[in-house]
Amino acid sequence: KLNIGVDTIQHGVEGLVYLLTESSKLMISEVDFQDSIHVLGFSDELNKSLLQLYLDNRKEIRSILGELAPRLPSYHSLEWRLDVQLASRSLRQQIKPAVTMKLHLNQNEDLTAQVLQTDPATLLHLIQQLEQALGEMKMNHCRRIVRNMK
Amino acid sequence: ILDDPDLKDIDPTVLKHCHAAASMCILEAGKQKADISAISTCLEDCKLDKERIEQFCTEYEKNKDALEILLGSIGRSPLHITDVSWRLEYQIKNNQLHKTYQPSYLVTLNVENSDSGSHPDVSFSCTMEQLQDLVGKLKDAAKSLERATQM
Repeated sequence: KLNIGVDTIQHGVEGLVYLLTESSKLMISEVDFQDSIHVLGFSDELNKSLLQLYLDNRKEIRSILGELAPRLPSYHSLEWRLDVQLASRSLRQQIKPAVTMKLHLNQNEDLTAQVLQTDPATLLHLIQQLEQALGEMKMNHCRRIVRNMK
Repeated sequence: ILDDPDLKDIDPTVLKHCHAAASMCILEAGKQKADISAISTCLEDCKLDKERIEQFCTEYEKNKDALEILLGSIGRSPLHITDVSWRLEYQIKNNQLHKTYQPSYLVTLNVENSDSGSHPDVSFSCTMEQLQDLVGKLKDAAKSLERATQM
């Protein structure tokens, strides 16, 4: 329909893809983008459309690129259940409380589930430790770094 | 027991039988959480004299709690969490994406296996929101534990 060779179209598409992904990856500003494509010698109208294309799709391209980064298994969700062990083969008449949990993790697009258990004392310890972890982001040290790195 | 100098005059087979019998008696008493009177009655039926019964019961009383703990810890259970460690990092860039600027947590749950005693720890990464979700759920569990103990 366009009356151009297949190769030209392929190169065109590849060039466009490269332009958009590199720009999105580096998150370059409008001015920088315009300066960069100016070198290519296209018409003003074309440059404007390219800039618009970049701005419109930047977010989506970045989120797709984000998926390509190396990743550890990540948290998906947690189910929990309260159990009390009343007896076992080796000991009768027990009252042993435990919290049984199913930890759902995202491992490279697969959801894995692991069954874990803990006792009440350790549970409270876990909560305390993780709350401390959450609190760290609010500390001055972290706030300073976040501010200075933007 | 076989190396004990006080017992070297006794036939080792008899010694083994005695040891096995005593062990069985102790373990069964522990398992059933038997009280002193039940044990005494049982030993009386076995025709042990009063002095021996008293000695046995005193020793049993002394070690009863340790025995209970030991017996309670035998058995299978899912991997048991013993501790947690965490790491907070701030991502700046990776080779696919620059200027990511995102905090992320790496959490490791130290886990123990009741059988083999060691097991690779469970590690995972999460965002702040995910960690908040996790802590929220753990707090729910703790709250319902508290409610259960008040019932």
